[in-house]
Amino acid sequence: MSSSLDHESPFQRWLEEHRGIVVKVARSFAQSPSDVADLQQEAMLQLWISLPSYAGQAKPSTWIYRVCLNTALTWRRGTVRRERRIEPGADLSRVMAEAATPAERVGERELLEKLYTAIHALPDFDRALVLLSLDGLAYREIAEITGLNENQVGVALTRARKRLAQLLKGVTDELE
Amino acid sequence: MNWNDYEAVWKRQELPVGADADLTALKETFETKRRKLAATLLIRDWTEISACAVVVAFYAWFWRSIGPSGWPMAVAMLLILGVAGVFLRERRRTRRKRLGADAPLLAKIEADLAELRHQRQLLLNVWAWYLAPCAGAVLIHVGVMIRRAKPWQATREPLFLLGFGLCFALFLWFAWAINRRVVRKQIDPRLAELEKLRRGILTTE
Repeated sequence: MSSSLDHESPFQRWLEEHRGIVVKVARSFAQSPSDVADLQQEAMLQLWISLPSYAGQAKPSTWIYRVCLNTALTWRRGTVRRERRIEPGADLSRVMAEAATPAERVGERELLEKLYTAIHALPDFDRALVLLSLDGLAYREIAEITGLNENQVGVALTRARKRLAQLLKGVTDELE
Repeated sequence: MNWNDYEAVWKRQELPVGADADLTALKETFETKRRKLAATLLIRDWTEISACAVVVAFYAWFWRSIGPSGWPMAVAMLLILGVAGVFLRERRRTRRKRLGADAPLLAKIEADLAELRHQRQLLLNVWAWYLAPCAGAVLIHVGVMIRRAKPWQATREPLFLLGFGLCFALFLWFAWAINRRVVRKQIDPRLAELEKLRRGILTTE
């Protein structure tokens, strides 16, 4: 298994730097803590499997987003029946509570919680776009990840943001 | 509140740091999956191809044992070889490098869709490339046997022929129904999901 040893250290290094991507994608596409953990594990497995084919054309973070989002889209399709039985956002507060630190303001935590709930309510692709946009990726990078051109990204992102804003309308009024 | 506020909250969320992945467990899972897949592919490749080879060898032996009057067995052998050819072609397709999980989302979805449509077509046409040639070969074999049978032998009994015909038709129907069921229960729902996803990506209005 020399190939496995060859990519062991870059894998560890990338996980150290970009672990947040795996977690955010998992939280956005899965709801219960066990599903979030399952999806994270699956994404890491796909990263491990795909790493030997990484040729360096894309930035590591772009490549990681691609692998994680492809995994999430496939994973969710396989578990959609199971997820339907779970009330949207039912376990989200527990996931968020695990992530919370004393320094985090309650309002901010609530908003983040509502943000995840709204993201879960978006169609699959809008969810991916919103996640990439919230992470501050440029249109060019989003285009590289999704395979759309920059104009298409712009249009699709505007539509996704509008949907998210509608879903969050009541929430933000409440928090303000 | 606007987009920048959401973005700020999003970026401030607490995330686990460091590579806390259990690499040993990950490698074990990968190895288990790889071994399982390799074993499945090996069994599948060999059972199909060797089943065809065994049948062709048996038909060749049968033809040799009855002499020149068994010439229709050549047609039966060709039909089985044709089925083996389709299996071989499909195995080669499966082994070709496919788009990995690191492909752009749209390209990956389109590749998955193309593969799924191909599988669906194969299952829906199972009559043409599998059931009909196999049924043809079996009927040729049985026909040769009946032609050679003595008048008092069971193979000439109408009841035997009726029973054989019914069982054979039932078997063919069952094989066809299983394939239809796979299309209905597994392929079509997945195809619909992927198509919906693709539409979602490409809808720009």
